[in-house]
Amino acid sequence: MNGVRLLLIGCLAALLIAAACTTTKTTADVGILYTKGTGPMPTLLATKQIDGYIAWQPFAEVAPVAQIGKVITYSGSLPPDDRWKNHPCCVLTARTDFMGSHQAFVDDMGVATILATRYITDHPSDAADIVADWLAGKGNFTYGNISVSSVEVLDRAFPTVKFVNEPSEQWMAGQIEFVYALRELGTINGKLKNTTDDQTKALLFDTGPYNRDMAMIDAGSIVAPPVEANPIGVGYLLSDHHASLFVAVKKWQYFNDTYGIALKPEDPAATRPDLVDLLVKGKKIATLKLIPADAGPQLMQLAATNTIQMAYVGNPPAISAIDQGTPLKILMALNNEGSGVVVITSSPATDWNSFVQWAKERSAAGNPIKMAAPGKGSIQDVMLRYALEESGLSVKEVQA
Amino acid sequence: MRRPLGIILPILLLIIWEIAARSINNQFILPTLETVIPVLLSPTVDILGTGSLLHNAAVSLERVGLGFLVALAIAVPLGVGMGWWPRLDAFMDTTVQLLRPIPPLAWGPLAIAWFSVGLSSMVFIIFLGAFFPILLNTIDGVRSVKRTWIEAAETLGASERQVLGKVVLPGAAPTIWTGLRVGFGVAWMCVVAAEWLPGTTSGLGYLTLYAYNFGQMQYIIAGMITIGTIGIVFDLLFRSVENRWFSWRRLER
Repeated sequence: MNGVRLLLIGCLAALLIAAACTTTKTTADVGILYTKGTGPMPTLLATKQIDGYIAWQPFAEVAPVAQIGKVITYSGSLPPDDRWKNHPCCVLTARTDFMGSHQAFVDDMGVATILATRYITDHPSDAADIVADWLAGKGNFTYGNISVSSVEVLDRAFPTVKFVNEPSEQWMAGQIEFVYALRELGTINGKLKNTTDDQTKALLFDTGPYNRDMAMIDAGSIVAPPVEANPIGVGYLLSDHHASLFVAVKKWQYFNDTYGIALKPEDPAATRPDLVDLLVKGKKIATLKLIPADAGPQLMQLAATNTIQMAYVGNPPAISAIDQGTPLKILMALNNEGSGVVVITSSPATDWNSFVQWAKERSAAGNPIKMAAPGKGSIQDVMLRYALEESGLSVKEVQA
Repeated sequence: MRRPLGIILPILLLIIWEIAARSINNQFILPTLETVIPVLLSPTVDILGTGSLLHNAAVSLERVGLGFLVALAIAVPLGVGMGWWPRLDAFMDTTVQLLRPIPPLAWGPLAIAWFSVGLSSMVFIIFLGAFFPILLNTIDGVRSVKRTWIEAAETLGASERQVLGKVVLPGAAPTIWTGLRVGFGVAWMCVVAAEWLPGTTSGLGYLTLYAYNFGQMQYIIAGMITIGTIGIVFDLLFRSVENRWFSWRRLER
């Protein structure tokens, strides 16, 4: 009886050891861990559970500020050369049924976004201030003995994001590249699975609103939509990529006085308003419910259930939603670039090339580095994978 | 004697916490007391644009209160019915047992789709947390009312309605009250899950999770302590009512 028990325990121990060996021995040069948003990244890095991460701003700047990591490169400079320069990032989207019934409203939201983007380009430090207010009430971030103003963090992050709206041919081509990347990852298996580039373009984009918006702005007259009784849901992410929304709301008085269109917060004291009124020529047109989320897929679920009618969101979640049959169109860009690659402070890497060197050494030593990305198929995930593979490293999804 | 004894461990834990935090010297693993205490001592100061601790506590309490009241309004009558009429119990029980083990958080995606983002979906999540403890305790309370009391009332010619209202409900009240206490505790624990849903911009749970994005552990721990403290306060309130009104149950036994 005792012998049998010992044998059983022995077998179990052997199994456990074998399991432990197979998990540490991995064929990949770099492991990627998905963290469902940026939330866990600073903690995982500070506790050495990951060796680095790729995140949208301002979360790439959190690591250097907290002295737990350093930014080795921003997304626009990732290899291959110039491949990701001006890469598309976040986009303005709307449900097609909503566009059908509320064309003038959707157009005016586009106008407010374009005007805010112009303001950001002309007053970047003022805009960074507004984002620091929206994201952190201009409060301080404290890490042990270090305390840094959120305004300072945003000032660092802001120049790494390029705020543009034009849905140019080049930009659309960049978006279609993401469709290819998502197909490779196996996350596209619906409407966009086998489409030609022209078909993809037709399914993804509607540039009508942008063209009408530019005509209205050039003519200096904004068309007032009919008054809407029901609140309209508009989703966004808590990232400086969506600064145009924050600026449009916080600077509503300026836009109201200068252009006759404004997104006025119902509670002017709120740092992160959730109810805003669309005013055209001083008249209230509609109430908007602003709905923040941690990551794009959440917003796309809200769009799929018609809880929100418009969304400021990253392009891969929008592409996936359209692929899965959500009646949605991408109307214009919000920003290009704007993500950063972070590595742990102790890493010898200082730029991409030394990072690749480090990754290869660690892989050869049987202890491949582990990088976190916000989600499978996110812009950050796609770019990091491409860049790593371009640099001769293989990538494998890992668990913590 | 019990009180002073009970206070020793928390004080010891605080001391160990501080020593550990200083020797680890990594605020992501454990921030020092000096970074957490100022947050707790200034409960009216805005945190990361999310509002003050007090404001967020009030918002969370309102949500939990609403979810709890809805749960009470449905679970108590249903529980009395299931405890009293075996056929209703047989009809409902399988469904209740199937739904009960599902963590409220798992309902998040459906809650948003059904009730839309905002208060109602959060109240739904909290309602689910409170519902089952109240329901099960109510059923149990009704069943444990002494047969002799019911038979005595029936012999004296009481109608079913009178028996239910005058004998069963008061007799089951102590157990129902325990259910309410447990239900409120679970509902309060669900507040973090509920405030994790997109579209939330306030509440203790939201504050805690939002601070995570920036690695602001001192706010996370201050939020946790506030959630814990409020939980204790309400538990004590429920217990004091229990002691005042339902101490007869102990005598009865």
